[in-house]
Amino acid sequence: MAVYKGFDIAADPEHAGYFEAAGRGELVVQRCAECGLLRGQIGAACPFCTCLDWTWEPVAGTGAIYSYQVVARAVNAAFADWVPYPVVLVELDEQRGVPWRGGREDEAVSLRKIANLVARDDPSRPEDEANVAIGLRVRVCFAKLGDGLALPQFRLADEPPEHDPWRAAERNR
Amino acid sequence: MGGLKDKYCIVGVGETAYVRGSGRSTRSMGVEAVRAAMADAGLDATDVDGMLCYQVGDSTLSQTIATDLGIRLNFYTDTYGGGSSTETIIGLAMGAIEAGMCSTVAVFRSMNGYSSLRMGGRPAPSGPGPARLVGDALDTTPYGVSSPAQRFQFTFARHMQTYGTTNEQLAAVKVAHAKHASNNPRAYYRKRVTVDDVLDSRWIVKPACHLLDCCIETDNATCVIVTSADRARDLRQRPAYIMSVTGRANKPYQDPLAHYQCDPITRQAGYYGGRIAFRNAGVEPADVQLTGCYDAFTFTPVLLFEGYGFCAEGEGGDYVSGGTIELGGARPSNTSGGQLCEGYTHGMNLVIENVRQLRHQADDSCPGWREGEHTYDHAEGGCRQVRDVELAMNMGWGTPAVSSALIMRR
Repeated sequence: MAVYKGFDIAADPEHAGYFEAAGRGELVVQRCAECGLLRGQIGAACPFCTCLDWTWEPVAGTGAIYSYQVVARAVNAAFADWVPYPVVLVELDEQRGVPWRGGREDEAVSLRKIANLVARDDPSRPEDEANVAIGLRVRVCFAKLGDGLALPQFRLADEPPEHDPWRAAERNR
Repeated sequence: MGGLKDKYCIVGVGETAYVRGSGRSTRSMGVEAVRAAMADAGLDATDVDGMLCYQVGDSTLSQTIATDLGIRLNFYTDTYGGGSSTETIIGLAMGAIEAGMCSTVAVFRSMNGYSSLRMGGRPAPSGPGPARLVGDALDTTPYGVSSPAQRFQFTFARHMQTYGTTNEQLAAVKVAHAKHASNNPRAYYRKRVTVDDVLDSRWIVKPACHLLDCCIETDNATCVIVTSADRARDLRQRPAYIMSVTGRANKPYQDPLAHYQCDPITRQAGYYGGRIAFRNAGVEPADVQLTGCYDAFTFTPVLLFEGYGFCAEGEGGDYVSGGTIELGGARPSNTSGGQLCEGYTHGMNLVIENVRQLRHQADDSCPGWREGEHTYDHAEGGCRQVRDVELAMNMGWGTPAVSSALIMRR
């Protein structure tokens, strides 16, 4: 059993390969066997063509913070010693901005992962909340779970930001 | 295919008190709310033959509520869901009647939202050992993302980054709803607040949710009764005619959090559902005089107003902070105080309020409210009736990617 913060991870057929790849130090996404498009959310069919078959494909594990949050109050007791902790929506570098159904409504699909922004040198600890901002470049890292599995996380990369970084002004810290 | 404009009505509304620590079962509260709505409509147990409820495994089923009240049902079903469910199952009630399955449907929600299941809390252990995560939970829970504030926050933050929406603008929503609640004797929180009160309250999730940006949690049951316009003519109250309804319209990528794959993530699903709601009602946003927005957070009305076209995308912050949504403003919203102040019902109290407003019988402190006589003095502790309101809209929120709507007229 792979346990992380009191949760039993990888108990799901769609996700098993994802955590196994992470255990090998790879971030993978599903590639559709029919249309060949990648998808960032893990699922059982291709939202572009409905094909049911896919393969896991390694990606570079690099991207930029597309949105973020800082959880100040732990809803789950497992995170009580982490608050305040940043959570990031990472846009991966592969396959950005594919128009949805021809782009009729200006909708576009990218590969995005939810993860914690963790410390550069320790994937078991959160990054300082002051260091999270939209537009910063990040790189995948992995928190070991046991049983050869790992949980993908992201840390700040030693690269210039993708655009002017943005974080909310805070009157009340 | 058009809608069923003006063919169905809400003829009765009822609720329990909004409390914390009810000490009651959802069964006890549910029967009280349904009974209150029947009494409001002038219906007895032989008149109601349909029942619908929504819940998230935290309530009592229709069959039990009906049995307790001596109602013999020709139709019932219990749906799974929280926010955005109210309008959805009002639409299902219309469909059930239209299909000839029944004639009058009680739609209820009973929940101990404070003292029992709280949104986003740790899942109940299914047995000894670690909680087993499957499906969507594997993409979120290990990262400390489980509560609604956490699940919606990427949309909120990106909206602030893209459009410059500020915490001060968001606080204006709480200020307006608290102003309204101060004129609602039923509201759980009746104290007015200032923008500073909101900004000085402690953070729950940054950058958009201080404590006072979040809705309250309460224990309560609520009910509305839906029947045909023909049947409504004989009943006690002036009907609220349903001009159109939508149920859980989605964005291209929907649930649970797949919608973050698809830009613009700042867009609310009302962008899609609004087309159906306004087309079937034959009205435009400009015709709407009163709104009720699912106010899980101060941010959710901002996105609903944009999605349904009450303002342009990105202008929701200006819309909510310019006085429009306050009693006395051009288009008041959440005149009961909503879920930020009155009580947390997964949206049904917002529909109940609009029904009362359309009757011109908002139960405020005006001595003649039962006869529709109001002072229209919206000072603290005074009147909350919107003068001469004829057309009202409810906008429900499930997530950024899910929305329902209900347009009603007097």
